[in-house]
This record gives sequence, structure tokens and C-alpha cells, in this order.
Amino acid sequence: MADLTPVFAGSVFLSKMHGPAHAREVNPLSLSPMSKSLFQKPIEIKISTVVAVSAILATADRIALDAALNEMTGGSTDFFEDDLAVIDVAGLPADCTPIDWAGIISLLKKYRLNPVAVRNAPPHLAAEIAAHGLSLETAVKSREPEHAPQQEPAPVAAPAPAAAAAPAETNVMIIDTPVRAGQRIYARGCDLVVTAVVNNGAEIIADGSIHVYNTLNGRALAGASGNPNARIFALELSPELVSIAGVYRTFEDGFPAEFARKPAQIRLNGDRIDILSVNSATRAL
Amino acid sequence: MARIIVVTSGKGGVGKTTSSASFSTGLAMRGHKTVVIDFDVGLRNLDLIMGCERRVVYDLINVINGEASLNQALIKDKHCDNLFILPASQTRDKDALSEDGVERVLHELINMGFEYIICDSPAGIEHGALMALTFADEALIVTNPEVSSVRDSDRILGIIQAKSRRAQSGSEPVKEHLLITRYSPKRVEADEMLSHEDVQEILRIPLIGIIPESESVLHASNQGNPAIHFKGTDVAEAYEDVVSRFLGQDVPLRFTQYEKPGFLQRIFGGK
Repeated sequence: MADLTPVFAGSVFLSKMHGPAHAREVNPLSLSPMSKSLFQKPIEIKISTVVAVSAILATADRIALDAALNEMTGGSTDFFEDDLAVIDVAGLPADCTPIDWAGIISLLKKYRLNPVAVRNAPPHLAAEIAAHGLSLETAVKSREPEHAPQQEPAPVAAPAPAAAAAPAETNVMIIDTPVRAGQRIYARGCDLVVTAVVNNGAEIIADGSIHVYNTLNGRALAGASGNPNARIFALELSPELVSIAGVYRTFEDGFPAEFARKPAQIRLNGDRIDILSVNSATRAL
Repeated sequence: MARIIVVTSGKGGVGKTTSSASFSTGLAMRGHKTVVIDFDVGLRNLDLIMGCERRVVYDLINVINGEASLNQALIKDKHCDNLFILPASQTRDKDALSEDGVERVLHELINMGFEYIICDSPAGIEHGALMALTFADEALIVTNPEVSSVRDSDRILGIIQAKSRRAQSGSEPVKEHLLITRYSPKRVEADEMLSHEDVQEILRIPLIGIIPESESVLHASNQGNPAIHFKGTDVAEAYEDVVSRFLGQDVPLRFTQYEKPGFLQRIFGGK
């Protein structure tokens, strides 16, 4: 069945894949239980996790930040689509106080980021941060060294992925039913495991890696928010498109014959998508 | 316990209405009180295939808008006492199909004691098709053995799994059946057509039957008689098999092997 022509039934534009902005379009389909609660209380308090982008500052200079954001978004106003943002100040030089909080907030808002909290702020800044209506994020441990100040969603991958960059995420999304044409599944902030077939016209996206224990015929986008170390694994590959951290590859002339119909993995090597045997003994292309 | 069955495909022209007509007729002929509803508002065809186009006075939209009662709109089939047809409107806009209205009509049909309610979906994935599948308990996915039809069936399966009432409420999912129509074993053998195994490998739902490509289908539509009435034709027998399997009987697959015309056939002609 490898001869199904790759007509894209679902539609996203690749230019939107570099950032987290496309996340909003994702229809989680049947992933979240929709059943209504039997008891309607006026208010319920539950622990919940929200997803936000982190804006990691290497400078507090508004003009430099504005220029960088402008370049990153390519001038598009809907790149971030009002995503929540956490401002990470760990990378700021110690001597750059006072920080122009109002300026930074309005700058982020201009790019439709919605700052809600500050991460890694030294204690003496707590009062002025609170005065600007931002929360202090204290529960998070400091970032691991290999994640050190790195431009948020990197459109093009950083070279030479670190060998053992195990992400700290423990979560995973598992899908046991076929992913069908027009369906789109997004594993936000985690790996995606699919045990059923991914058909032509379907799209599976993960911020982490993608594992398909079946045939992958649709589109697969790993490292969707910029992780160049993400990979795609499948028992049988005949994809329409694969992408890692925004770098993509299509297969107009068919999937390379030596990897067709056998387990393989896809990884990013610099700005090139490589196809390898799943146990990486052999290396090609 | 009434069952609501949607007959759908995504793609047009694959045999939804032909299959709805024969499937509902088959159920009714076996003694089950059955109604078949045409959801193709604006492009109604079911009444033609069932041969009752001259008896249409009121339609589904009239009932939804309260302009007619169900009893006024239901047309009794000319062959089976157990079979009723609820035609679509030819003139109205499909937006007149409100979700509340459809639900109300289906409830009323259940209260009238219908065992099987067959919803003949329009092609596409627009409002009319959504309304036809929203309340379904089971789905007959009509697919031709060619890639675009298979792709569209895959799409409609995804929509059933996301948008049906059963999916939304988290209850037991819609039971899916694959019905392959216009199957030509000869062309499969010549590699001009996907085999039923190929189709199943992509869609991964249980096969309920294979209807062979046949001229008798066109003949049946032109006459206004469901193909299942043409006793002795392979299409009629294939639809009988589908009904048997739907009702839980174990019937072997037929009409999947190409048989070269035998000696006698060649002598006595036939197609």
C-alpha cells in the first residue's frame, strides 16, 4: 500500500510549524474525556498544569529583544497567538538592574505573548515583579546545563545534538486507535507513542519524540517546539512528510528503498533529516 | 432496542443510497420494522431508488419544523409492510437540519417502535453528513476499492470517532462496518483495483460485505426498485449476505474471486 499518493488531506502550513503557535489549531479529537461531571459545584479547585512558552532573556535591553522577536516571528502577528509566557531571567547578567518590567511586558504583549510569571528571579526582585502583576515561579528547579540560554523555538536546529540529552519530561501520550486522514494529534510537551497505523492524510505532532509501533503513512512532526534531539521511530515508514524541530523532508520520489518496510528512525543531523536503521548500526543518506 | 445506523462514505457516488435502500429493504424483509431517512437535503435521491418519488408530500424538514407530523411524512414501501421512507426536502437549505430537530425526529421514530433506523448520509463532511452520523449507534462505511474513496472513508471514520454523540459523551463507540461496493475481482486480479485486503489494511475496521460491480445496480435504480429485489443477481445475494452478517450470522465471503467464464456459460451466453 505504499503507492498511495501523498495528497495532504489535512492542512497546515509549514511556515507555522516552527513555533508553538500552531498548537492552538490542534483538535485533540477524542483525547480528552468530555463527559460532564455529575455534580455541578459553583467552583472546584483542582491541580492543573498549563502550558506556557518560556521567554529566556539574555538581555533586558528592549530594543535588542524587539529586534530578536521581530526576526524570529518574521513580522507575523499571529506567531504566538496569545500563548502564556514565563519570563526566565536566569540568563540575565547580574548587573543589568533595574529591569524595565513594564517595557518587557508590553513588548511581549506586542508579539501576542501573554506574560504571567517570572522564573529564576533573585529574591530581591520579588517585590517589583509582584508590583507588575506577575507571579514568581519558584517550584521549578534551575535548568539543566544543556538547556542553557537557547533561543526559544529554534526554527533551525543547533548542530551536533548532545549524546545523552535526556529530557526531564516523564509524561507520554499513548494512542491505541488508528490515526485517520484529517486527524491531528499533538503530544504537547511530551513524547507520542502510537500503537496503531497512522494513515495518509493524518498528522501526528509531538514536542518530544514520536514512536509508531505500526506503519507510519501520514505526516510526523517531532520536536515541534524546537527540540532538535527529538526523533521519529516507526516499525514501517512510508511517510508523506517528516519534520524535526521545524526542519522537514518530503518523499516525492518515494521513501528510500533500503529503509522501506522495515523499522527505521529519523533524526536531525545539523539541518539535514537523516534516515537510519532503528538500531543505528548502519548509517546512510 | 432500536439501533440507528448511518450509511456514509465521505466520497460521492460510491453507492451510499443504493446500499441504504437494499440494506433497509433486506432488514424489513426479514421482519424488522425499519425506516430509512434521506439526509441529503437539496439533492434527494433515495425516493427515486425506492420508487416512491411520486408519493412524497411532506419531508424530513417539514417534520423538523413542525409543519407535518411524522405519520404524514413517512411513506410506506411498495413491497414491504415493515419498511418506511422519510424523504429529504428537495427545495430547502441543508442548514434547516437542526441537531435538536434531528434528535427529536429520531426519538419519535424509536417511540413508534422502529427497530432499525437507517440514515442515508449525503456525500462530503459538511453539516448534512454530520447530522446523519451524530446520533448513530452503528456505521456502514461504503467504500469503493480505489485510493480516493478509501482516503475519504478514513476521514469520515475519524469524524465519527470525534463528533458522534457516542464519542462526545464517552459512551461505547460507534460500531463500524466496512462495506466495499463496486468490487470487480477481475480488475483486482489485473492489479487495476485495490483488493479488499488492501482496503481493510488501511481502514482497519471489520468487513461486513463486498458488493460486486454489476449492471443490475443501474437497472435497479432506473426502475425504482432496490437492487436486493433482483433475486438471483450477485448484487442481490451480496446484499442479503450483508444483512445476514449484520444480524449476527456467519456467512462466508462471496464474489471476491474472479472466475473465468465456463464452457456452458460461453455456449449459452450471459455476461
